[in-house]
Amino acid sequence: MKATLAPSSLISLPRQKASSLRSPSLLINSQRPSSALMTTKTASRGSVAVTAAATSSVEALREGIAEFYNETSGLWEEIWGDHMHHGFYDPDSSVQLSDSGHREAQIRMIEESLRFAGVTEEKKIKRVVDVGCGIGGSSRYIASKFGAECIGITLSPVQAKRANDLAAAQSLSQKVSFQVADALEQPFEDGTFDLVWSMESGEHMPDKAKFVKELVRVAAPGGRIIIVTWCHRNLSQGEESLQPWEQNLLDRICKTFYLPAWCSTSDYVDLLQSLSLQDIKCADWSENVAPFWPAVIRTALTWKGLVSLLRSGMKSIKGALTMPLMIEGYKKGVIKFGIITCQKPL
Amino acid sequence: MRLIVHNMLTCNVKGVVNKFPLKIVAEKVVKKEVDFNLDFLWHMLAKIEWKALVDGARSLGYSELPDHAEALESNESFLKKFHHALLELHLEEGSLVCKETGRKFPVKKGVPNMLLHEDEV
Repeated sequence: MKATLAPSSLISLPRQKASSLRSPSLLINSQRPSSALMTTKTASRGSVAVTAAATSSVEALREGIAEFYNETSGLWEEIWGDHMHHGFYDPDSSVQLSDSGHREAQIRMIEESLRFAGVTEEKKIKRVVDVGCGIGGSSRYIASKFGAECIGITLSPVQAKRANDLAAAQSLSQKVSFQVADALEQPFEDGTFDLVWSMESGEHMPDKAKFVKELVRVAAPGGRIIIVTWCHRNLSQGEESLQPWEQNLLDRICKTFYLPAWCSTSDYVDLLQSLSLQDIKCADWSENVAPFWPAVIRTALTWKGLVSLLRSGMKSIKGALTMPLMIEGYKKGVIKFGIITCQKPL
Repeated sequence: MRLIVHNMLTCNVKGVVNKFPLKIVAEKVVKKEVDFNLDFLWHMLAKIEWKALVDGARSLGYSELPDHAEALESNESFLKKFHHALLELHLEEGSLVCKETGRKFPVKKGVPNMLLHEDEV
């Protein structure tokens, strides 16, 4: 992070000139993920005392996320399987979602992430937290792989229940369990987990600094943290923020998927550095996930896909219609898929 | 929710000192058999907060656990009780209560809800 902004004061990280720094709640407002934020818009521009508005907009975002996944989780499971994250492909490969190939790619994503972070069998991973666990695909996979105990947290009660049911069906109940909890307020003691896993959940966190702080807090000394997430491109030297057209594109995506403001991979690295984490590494895997979206769209446009979408309701339909924006963002270099990993000092 | 999870959950309300363990108020408890895994139990024994497990098991209607953990090798009957309490008792409906504030975290369909309200953060 730039020296002028203490990490704990950041709610959203697009850089601003000090003189034009908008209030934290306004930065969330610009994404407008929920109608509750509309009422604070005119009142808070330029005003200082916006903490109350900021806090209730965070709660509105949290409810929006929970509802979104309560409603759409079944459909995503039908299309994506029990891993609710992107597959990892060789760049420019063509993907058919009806193949078993996409599931293999989703597992490859987990394996590539573990490998990138240097997490191997020898590391004696015994306790894992899956932050933003969806229906628990990563937890179940990692628990099987390492014989570890995995705790998953999600905002969605529907997902937590489904995750537990899938664990029971796969005879993994003793190793994995799922709770409704907030990634920004995790109900665990400091230093509990050998591996802290956040697979495509960072996008939903309204306060990236707080999110990273919590990940670090619950990591055990010597433990590893793995964050795989959607980011916007790194800002160039002297650039204060994204271009207006870029911000506009992200705003439209945010509204549909209940995403607060985006940050860059560099922002995550800066946050981890400020918290004295070691062995911080990052990579741009945008090319490796790009084949996924056109394949999702093709599936959605099949007869089966359309029927499922219509059955699942407006949030799912809006989600499907927003996918071309993700492709546009990727093609124009605004949207990046990144991995950031590190180790907590002993 | 099984006791292996209860043994990790804390009350994360701001300012609370006595945040672990949470008291269990059970409304519906279900027993589900789970395969015995000695290696897993061995690792868990080292990490488990024993008193919390004993009290938690009592709240779920199981009082067979001794007040102190025994060395694993010694006693097959102890092992079975440990396994049963840790992994086979499920709280389906009820709540987890913070001992300091009395704050209740509901457990519905086996899933604890640890979300805080905005004034607790």
